[in-house]
Amino acid sequence: MKAEYYVRETASNLGRNITITLASVMTVAVSLALVGASLMLRSGVENATRRWQGGIEFVIFMQRDPSPEQLQSLREDLEQSPEVASVRFVDKKEAYEEFKVLFADSPELIDSIEPETLPPSFRVEPVNKEVDAVEALGTTYGAKSGVDRVVFASKTIRLIQQLSSRLTVGIFVIAAFLLGAAGLLILNTIRMAMFARRREIEVMKLVGATNWFIRVPFMLEGLVQGLIGAFLAIAALAAFKPFFQKWLPNSRDIPLVSGFQVSSGEMFFIFGTLGVVGILIGAIGAGIAVSRFLDV
Amino acid sequence: MIKIENVTKSYKSSTVALRDANVEIAKGEFVFLVGASGSGKSTFIRLLNKEETPDAGRIFVAGKDIGQLSNWKVPFLRRNIGCVFQDFKLLPSKTVFENVAFALEVIGRPRSVIDAQVPAILDLVGLAHKSANFPNELSGGEQQRVSVARAFVNRPLILLADEPTGNLDPATSVGIMRLLDRINKTGTTVVMATHDRGIVDTMRRRVIELDRGSIVRDQSRGVYE
Repeated sequence: MKAEYYVRETASNLGRNITITLASVMTVAVSLALVGASLMLRSGVENATRRWQGGIEFVIFMQRDPSPEQLQSLREDLEQSPEVASVRFVDKKEAYEEFKVLFADSPELIDSIEPETLPPSFRVEPVNKEVDAVEALGTTYGAKSGVDRVVFASKTIRLIQQLSSRLTVGIFVIAAFLLGAAGLLILNTIRMAMFARRREIEVMKLVGATNWFIRVPFMLEGLVQGLIGAFLAIAALAAFKPFFQKWLPNSRDIPLVSGFQVSSGEMFFIFGTLGVVGILIGAIGAGIAVSRFLDV
Repeated sequence: MIKIENVTKSYKSSTVALRDANVEIAKGEFVFLVGASGSGKSTFIRLLNKEETPDAGRIFVAGKDIGQLSNWKVPFLRRNIGCVFQDFKLLPSKTVFENVAFALEVIGRPRSVIDAQVPAILDLVGLAHKSANFPNELSGGEQQRVSVARAFVNRPLILLADEPTGNLDPATSVGIMRLLDRINKTGTTVVMATHDRGIVDTMRRRVIELDRGSIVRDQSRGVYE
């Protein structure tokens, strides 16, 4: 009975101001799509440069099967060096797990690789991060016994990381403004719905409808607008995702670890975030409208 | 049923609307509030269902001090008080049946109760045959009957009427008064603000006269002046 009433009233409120309802839904959708796209970009860049996160400047790849003594001596060497800020050892198993993530889009490649074939490595964060100093330090380890080669973070990788973080901040600022506009639009649609229903509201108060009974349809109106906006944004991003990898440069163009990948787990997280933000915007807009303009 | 103790109410801009009023109204009484426009009749009525709160004094309705009532309980107070107005306050987009049903619907009464009570009350006010009509298809008197039906469908303890015949011609007014009298005879306390001398003089019920916010007369079986 109550649920039926709420559904009916909410639907009629939404339909009554259809143009402004659409405006707020579209604003929510556009702003959330921007947020989602920048989250995707960030995930893509993070994945593509995964080996180079957290200040890692060079990686020492060992030969495929180094002796325990070789590993031990190199590890002690690195850990005792005053020029090394931190070092992390990646064994064959971990290297294989990472490989699987990086090449998630080419399962035939993963199938052709055994954990045994991947070399263990040391990831090194030097104290001094000047390019020359890093190269000088890295090269000294190239000659140690058991070492295959030393790979440095390229300038391209640093540039991409920097660009992506600045782009993310920029898009977030724009999206925040748009979300604010969306919240205000939702607030106004609800205010108009209240104005259209002022007689009903007056009668409801008169005959003793509870405050929450009067408020709920308006709250739901805001929530539905936020939710539909989020749903549209999610649909747009899901449709856009196949193009995402094609448009961005792949590992043949730039010496990256792999192409730009966003795993389905990450997409799921991004979609969840958008849904939550959409609901929040709707709830905040509706909450302000109900507390400010509904005099119960 | 209603007890008003030393109640004073004034509005920001204008003068005092009600000054140190003391009234006690027993269950089942029928009371006329008379006085010129601006004498405080409407304020009196609005204080009773807590649309306004007094500046000073206490108001008891059905034994409860409504000044102590927290905000969320006010709706439950209003379920015991029916209200009728000069301008009917019907919803133009709803039929007669829906207008009356709305009052039950929004306080969460189940459909079965609505389907039983609404036809019964429309029968009582003599509008069973118009239940599918819209308010603008009815005469003023019929609209006021719908409004009375809506106020009474939940069987409130008290019926407040603020100039219910103010927009109606004398003959139609008599019909509305018969209806209110009938409702009063079921044990409902009726408080009615009015300018209608003829009605007050023929009904001969308790009369409370207000003049610029003060109660100047309280007379049982009284006349208009």
